[in-house]
Amino acid sequence: MKYLDLAMNAAASLGAEYADIRIQKTTDQVIYLQNLSLKHTNTEVLYGYGIRVFKDGAWGFAHSNVFSDEAVLATVQKAVEIAALSASVNKNKKLRLAPERSYIASYKTPVKIESLDVPLHEKVELMMEVNRTMMAYEGIKQAVFYLVIHKDEKLFASTLGTRLDITTQFIDPMIIATAVLGSDSQSRTFDEGGRAVGWEWIESLNLIDKAKQIAEEALIKVKADVLGPEERRSLILDPNHLGLTMHESVGHPTELDRVLGWEADYAGISFATPEKLKNYRYGSEIVNFVGDNTLSEGLATHGFDDDGVPGQKWHIIKDGILNEYGSTRDTAMEIGLNYSRGCNRATYYYDQPINRIPNLYLLPGTKPLTPGELIADTEDGVYIQGRGSFSIDQHRVNFQFGGDFFWEIKNGKLFRPLKKVIYKSCNPEFWNSCDAICDQRFWQPFGVVNCGKGQPSQSARMTHGSAPARFRNIRVGGSQ
Amino acid sequence: MNIERIAEYIKKHCSTDDYSLHISNWDSHQTRFAQNGITQHMAGEKLDISLNVSFGTRSGSCTINQNDEQSLAYLLKTAEDIARLAPEDPEFMPSAGQASVPKVDNCDEETKNLQPAQMVEIVQQAIDKANAIDATVSGMTEKHYGQSFMFTKNGFVGSNESTNFGHSMTLKKGSVETKVDYDAKRFAPFSLERDFSRLAAQARSLEGMQSFEPQKIAVILRPGALQELMWFMGWMMNRRQSDEGFTPFTDQLGKEFFGEKFSWYSTLNRPELAASPYNGEGIPSEEIAWVENGVLKNMPTNRYWAKKVGAKPASVFNVYIPGGNASEEDMMKLVPRGLIINRFWYIRTVDAKSGELTGMTRDGVLYFEDGKVKHAINNLRFNEIPHDATRRILALGATELASSSVCVPTMLIDGFNFVDKTSF
Repeated sequence: MKYLDLAMNAAASLGAEYADIRIQKTTDQVIYLQNLSLKHTNTEVLYGYGIRVFKDGAWGFAHSNVFSDEAVLATVQKAVEIAALSASVNKNKKLRLAPERSYIASYKTPVKIESLDVPLHEKVELMMEVNRTMMAYEGIKQAVFYLVIHKDEKLFASTLGTRLDITTQFIDPMIIATAVLGSDSQSRTFDEGGRAVGWEWIESLNLIDKAKQIAEEALIKVKADVLGPEERRSLILDPNHLGLTMHESVGHPTELDRVLGWEADYAGISFATPEKLKNYRYGSEIVNFVGDNTLSEGLATHGFDDDGVPGQKWHIIKDGILNEYGSTRDTAMEIGLNYSRGCNRATYYYDQPINRIPNLYLLPGTKPLTPGELIADTEDGVYIQGRGSFSIDQHRVNFQFGGDFFWEIKNGKLFRPLKKVIYKSCNPEFWNSCDAICDQRFWQPFGVVNCGKGQPSQSARMTHGSAPARFRNIRVGGSQ
Repeated sequence: MNIERIAEYIKKHCSTDDYSLHISNWDSHQTRFAQNGITQHMAGEKLDISLNVSFGTRSGSCTINQNDEQSLAYLLKTAEDIARLAPEDPEFMPSAGQASVPKVDNCDEETKNLQPAQMVEIVQQAIDKANAIDATVSGMTEKHYGQSFMFTKNGFVGSNESTNFGHSMTLKKGSVETKVDYDAKRFAPFSLERDFSRLAAQARSLEGMQSFEPQKIAVILRPGALQELMWFMGWMMNRRQSDEGFTPFTDQLGKEFFGEKFSWYSTLNRPELAASPYNGEGIPSEEIAWVENGVLKNMPTNRYWAKKVGAKPASVFNVYIPGGNASEEDMMKLVPRGLIINRFWYIRTVDAKSGELTGMTRDGVLYFEDGKVKHAINNLRFNEIPHDATRRILALGATELASSSVCVPTMLIDGFNFVDKTSF
């Protein structure tokens, strides 16, 4: 597209040390069905471009939705002017960019069936059937199906000579059944958090069976007992639940911009500071976290990030020790790294990219271990499935998590269902208490499509994953 | 943006039984700084055109950000195609008809015309002041000017023009971190001198932190903390969700469910408070008491549910909680000991039915005893039910603007339930 060259030539002629343009078209289809009533059926198309200029150690970013030579040149001019204003403040605080080579490449999320091309009536018929299945259970008072299909088509060019053509997409179905009994109400949710695949995934999920399962479990949950007062217990966490735990307690603390204090005013900072690299025991020896923006079906697998840096795979925690961060070209140089790990991503064309969590997962255990064997080996504990309440402090140390479905474990057996279970822990106690992880056969990916961060707030996506794992001596109890 | 042209196009070409058209355009400038330098700096306009159409009770909608004829044709066709394929909606409501929309003064010319260089100068001064006390400052300076419009086939016409200026600062000196922010529709009342002085004073008060165990204890919630708690409680106060049994407010309408010292309104009568003149369904904003002297008077209700249960549709367009005349010094004398909370962080629902929330304190906690501040303490986690906490209100301070659409007082609450602590 001619605007790529036009913008980059203009930026260079105006003295940019580095510049890039990201022309991005984002298409979202959202369908929200509640109790057989379509509450929201919308297709949104946002199309525009963002231009970043780096000059004298500072950024300027301007965006526009107007496609004309004049508008592109005016947007470049605005970005250059903003960069100059930033530089006037950064005289003693100049940013630097990690070196990067140029690439001419393309990337496309592999899909078998384009989700946006599936006729709406087919989607709605499936959703209605799922809704009816849940509503058929006496006691289920609310049945929800929320479907999001998202596609980004990006053209990227930089003054390094990089030219990228990237198309990514994901699909995220979420089903919720809510039961009411007496004065209580409890929900159960099917939510795998989205995956970078096509409609073929939906066809493989057998959502009618999932609907039956969550409706039945919502009814079990609303009748379930509440765990007594908080005690130190063992926890077995399923991969879906662990996806959110690792997101909050490992993913965010190892974003280099937080480590540097760049999020101090809003999303917070990190306890995992640079002097801890290569020596801080973050978890037990069996805890290995990998950042992997090459992960198949990963939500953060884009080929390249919005710095034009290719997707990579690296250890963030190795054998329990803090190993490395997720970084960007401008954050890496602040701790003396001369390379970026390719974690700079923007949500829409009008967003300046920021340091985001990569696809991040816990490696499975190396010895054969099934979830059944793990439960059989646990005398007194709680097994948590799915995601619930989650809250963590702004240094990413102290946290409290709930879940979606709970079983008390007694003498190696699932003893009784529970509701309103919460556990409290902190870094590094939590990951150091991990004493068993099931093997590769039980490893599952789970997506996060709404990771909020930044000012103005941006919503990013990434995939996490793990096998079921056990944590010893955690404070677990019932809520009020 | 040519609103009339877009509206005329839709009127001329839209042949559906009904439609609602929403158009908004925001011109924003945002300067983000951290650790005494600018890290992000963004500017541009965002256009949003959203059309909802229906054939009978079948509806569909589409949103775009381009306003040329080809894009408008796509908007119309996509919304119509979706509506044709959609099933009949048993809860369908026709679009809003003609209504008397209140005039609300949300726009300020000086704020609208604020220049990037002025905003960067504010950032520079904040950094200079932080450097002068050997501290670092992080935050954002932002300005927004927006216009929004709504038209329906049934005759609703509404518009709103608004401005917003914000400047936030988090100061870090040694182990102390604390924050002050300004968020209002007008730039003029902003004073960097005043806000930085307050920030520096807060930071000084937080030196010498001592470890404190979680417990039930009286708290003085400053407006920044109270507004966070109220937003979460407000989100649960949905009429339909309550009527269907999913929230703590089920069967509580008209009853004294809150503490008698607690009232909560949305109001058009406070000029400093931003207020949208209508909501997305075309319901004009008007004075409304959600809670009055502890009695649950109204709950946010959409048009469908309002018709079904015979209520008036309403939505929260701003938050005004009346205060009293107690100062923090007065409050400290009302209880033997307690905590002063600047702000909460990461509040989440623990149990939707009971209304229990969890969250952390942030940006400074002070311990007081015998009517005087003794020292700063570590941050704490709470698990608390806000409507229950209103029954333990002991005193109220004067209301102040906590953010552009929230005006709340300082509040003394007894027996606030803290359950965990941090090391910082």
